[in-house]
Amino acid sequence: MKQRFISSVQIILQLVLTTVGLTGQSYPGKPQIIRCRSLEKETFSCWWKPGSDGGRPNNYTLFYSKDSEEKIYECPDYLTSGPNSCYFDKNHTNPWTTYIITVMATNEIGSNSSDPQHVDVTSIVQPDAPVNLSLETNTSANMSYLWAKWSPPPLADASSNSHEYHYELRLKPEEKEEWETVSVGMQTHYEVTSLQAGAKYIVQVRCMLDLGEWSEWSSERSIQIPKERLPPEKPTIIKCRSPEKETFTCWWKPASDGGLSTSHTLLYSKEGEEKVYECPDYKTAGPNSCYFDKKHTSFWTIYNITVRATNEMGSNVSDPHYVDVTYIVQPDPPVNITLELKKSIKRKPYLVLTWSPPPLADVRSGWLTLEYELRLKPEEGEEWETIFVGQQTQCKMFSLNPGKRYIVQIHCKPDHHGLWSEWSPEMYIEIPTGEVKDVVVWIIVGVLSSLICLIMSWIMILKGYRMMAFILPPVPGPKIKGIDTHLLETGKSEELLSALGCHGFPPTSDCEELLIEYLEVEDSEDQQLMPNHDTPSKNTKIILKETDSDSGRGSCDSPSLLPVKCRESRGLPSALQTQDIRAKEKKGGKESWEAQCMVSEQKTLPCNSESTKSCTWLAAQLPSNQPAMFAYHSTVEAFKITLNTTNVNTSPVWVGNEENGQPLYPIAETVYDDVEKISEMENSKTDQTTVQIRQNQHNHKSPFLNPKLMDYVEVHKIRQDEKPTLLLKHKENSGKTKKCSVPGTNKEYTKVSTVVDHHILVLLPDQRTQNTPVSQEPVAETSQNPQQTQAEKNTSYSTTTPSDSRRDTSGSDYMDPSSFMPSFK
Amino acid sequence: CHTSGMLTPNGKEYAQKIPREELTHLILKLLQAWKEPLSHFNQHIEHHQELPDDSLSKAKQISNMVHELKTGVEKSMGIISNSLNGMASSEGTALSISNEANTMSDSDFIHCFRRDSNKVQSYLKILKCRIMPENSC
Repeated sequence: MKQRFISSVQIILQLVLTTVGLTGQSYPGKPQIIRCRSLEKETFSCWWKPGSDGGRPNNYTLFYSKDSEEKIYECPDYLTSGPNSCYFDKNHTNPWTTYIITVMATNEIGSNSSDPQHVDVTSIVQPDAPVNLSLETNTSANMSYLWAKWSPPPLADASSNSHEYHYELRLKPEEKEEWETVSVGMQTHYEVTSLQAGAKYIVQVRCMLDLGEWSEWSSERSIQIPKERLPPEKPTIIKCRSPEKETFTCWWKPASDGGLSTSHTLLYSKEGEEKVYECPDYKTAGPNSCYFDKKHTSFWTIYNITVRATNEMGSNVSDPHYVDVTYIVQPDPPVNITLELKKSIKRKPYLVLTWSPPPLADVRSGWLTLEYELRLKPEEGEEWETIFVGQQTQCKMFSLNPGKRYIVQIHCKPDHHGLWSEWSPEMYIEIPTGEVKDVVVWIIVGVLSSLICLIMSWIMILKGYRMMAFILPPVPGPKIKGIDTHLLETGKSEELLSALGCHGFPPTSDCEELLIEYLEVEDSEDQQLMPNHDTPSKNTKIILKETDSDSGRGSCDSPSLLPVKCRESRGLPSALQTQDIRAKEKKGGKESWEAQCMVSEQKTLPCNSESTKSCTWLAAQLPSNQPAMFAYHSTVEAFKITLNTTNVNTSPVWVGNEENGQPLYPIAETVYDDVEKISEMENSKTDQTTVQIRQNQHNHKSPFLNPKLMDYVEVHKIRQDEKPTLLLKHKENSGKTKKCSVPGTNKEYTKVSTVVDHHILVLLPDQRTQNTPVSQEPVAETSQNPQQTQAEKNTSYSTTTPSDSRRDTSGSDYMDPSSFMPSFK
Repeated sequence: CHTSGMLTPNGKEYAQKIPREELTHLILKLLQAWKEPLSHFNQHIEHHQELPDDSLSKAKQISNMVHELKTGVEKSMGIISNSLNGMASSEGTALSISNEANTMSDSDFIHCFRRDSNKVQSYLKILKCRIMPENSC
């Protein structure tokens, strides 16, 4: 706080002062004595520095007093030493007194005096620096001396200069930092010996009296010490070369020249001669070289060559160099390197590289024979492949890869002793790629093959089934006679077993007998039907009449028919005793009877025009409204009709069986014998009529008394409104059949004329005579029209086929269900 | 070298100026002049066990080559002048059995032989290119 207060007061005071000063006038500032000095102890001077001006000119006065004296004297001399100084001459100087000196500055306003200064003369003695420093060097006997000379500092009073000064000298080489100081004594010259030759030295001197201080260093003087002079060192001969075996050149290398200019001379002598010659030509081949032209070149002689270096201090001679020109031939590189691409008969092109010998070499006269060598590498490669070519000036290169870049170089050498030339400048080779063609070819091949693959795979996908079937024929499922999968599914074992035709399981002999009673139906081509006493395993052939698919009723080939089953059984070689016709629901939308022939080879449905086929199938296409015609046919042995119809609508079930006039067993009978049950066709949804074939086990026997050949049973149609009844009519019992519908149906097959009681199919055997209106139910009649068309179609079918077929009997082509019809009722 | 006394062209121009016969003469003379020293040398080094076998066989081979070369040159150039060839032969032989030839040291021998063979080669090449300048000349 206090300090702050003080400082603030000071500031205020200063401000006041400055303002006062600014206004102009104030008393002068305090002067200050800078220094006092005596040059030689006999006189001295003092200098002071004035203080601030105060705005007005100041007068300065110096007052002094000697110690212990009161008297104050004024400066005797203000001028001699310059402004603001006071010079005390000899008279006023007393070395043993201490002076007290003050300077006062006065102006109009006031005055100010400096602090007093106590001055003791002896203590302020400092002479001036010496002057006239001069330097000289002297070299003798390879030693250089430096000789320095100077003068003592001048005094105002020259006469009284008898003082003895001590001197000191210092020197250093120009580049260096540190001074070397030498005490010289009282003399004003000095000689320096240990000098660096060739360096530039800087020298200074200073002096001092007995007491007091050293003076300042004098101004610098510099001098160059001359370098050492030596005779030159021994030069060396580097090499001698002949480019064309006619001239040659030698080169040498000079050594240090000893600081002086040196000259070289080349001297040579030839083998066997004493005379020494000097180089004929120093210029042509450049500095430090000697060129021997043709005249001076002799072969098969050894030259003794030396080089002498000379300077002021002396000379020096190199070692001798012996050379026989024959062996120092090093040609220039080959020139005119050209490339030519040639296509050989083989597709791959090759390269022909040609070149010319270097121009100077005289190959034409045979004086100089050159051998060539070339080297090759791929541009990015690291190692060169060197190929010795011999004396020929061309080379064929086969081993180059098209498309790659190569670097090639050639060099040559004389065929005898000699040296390889330098490599020729790099030459780049690039063979154009013929690969584009190859690439294109491969691309095309790839595209084509991929296309082919696509097509193949597409075909595979589309015809996969067929292919698979072709390649891997489907495994036939086991077909056991009488087994109804539906029965199996429903789990009614009794029915199943009964369906098997056995009253009990395992099958008893009854079955056998029954089976035995069956006849084999064979088709026209085949042999006659034989009573088949065989086991079920025997082939039963069913004569099938194939109807075309166009019939509308469906045919073997009709896809609407049971394709699956048929296909499955298509290849069946083994015979099954029983045929099971199964009507199955084909599809949800369509109700179809599906009859599955369990017949062996005679496949059921898709019968291709095979000779012996039995084809039973059910076609279920008809809409529900249509009356369905069913042709039902069971052939041969196990004529079981198990029609599983759930939603069987109207599906004409065609059982085409070509009859050969062979007696058919009343299959129906058998069927009915065997068939345990009649699959019931339920009325499906609305309109659908179901065909129900029921077989009464027990009743069946009666109607069929005669096992007759039934060709097939044709299920004509089923009336909607009525339950279809499958009536199998025997042809011969036409009279019995009263319910044969289908008036005009002179079919050779039995048609289901009506359905009676919702569970009976009336099957009409078709007769040759077209006009046998076999008993047809009226019901059926109504539906005849459509039927008829179909029937006609059928007839057409049937007419043809039966004609082909041999029929011994007039046996109906179908089974006549009529015989058992009543049973159904 | 014992053949140093022979006046042989020691430059291209000189060699080209010399007429063919003289050149052939020189060649033959040179070849002949080495016949003896070669055989002498072969005998000499056979006793030197320290030399590898290659050298010995090589030396023999060289002697044969020289002889064959001489014969060949004689035959091919013999058409030109027989008399000259005969002279060459005698002169060469004279050189061949001279003192110098016998007292040559091995290193001198090799050195001189190398040089003279080079001479012969060069002269022959010049001769060849003069006579048949077609290929490789």
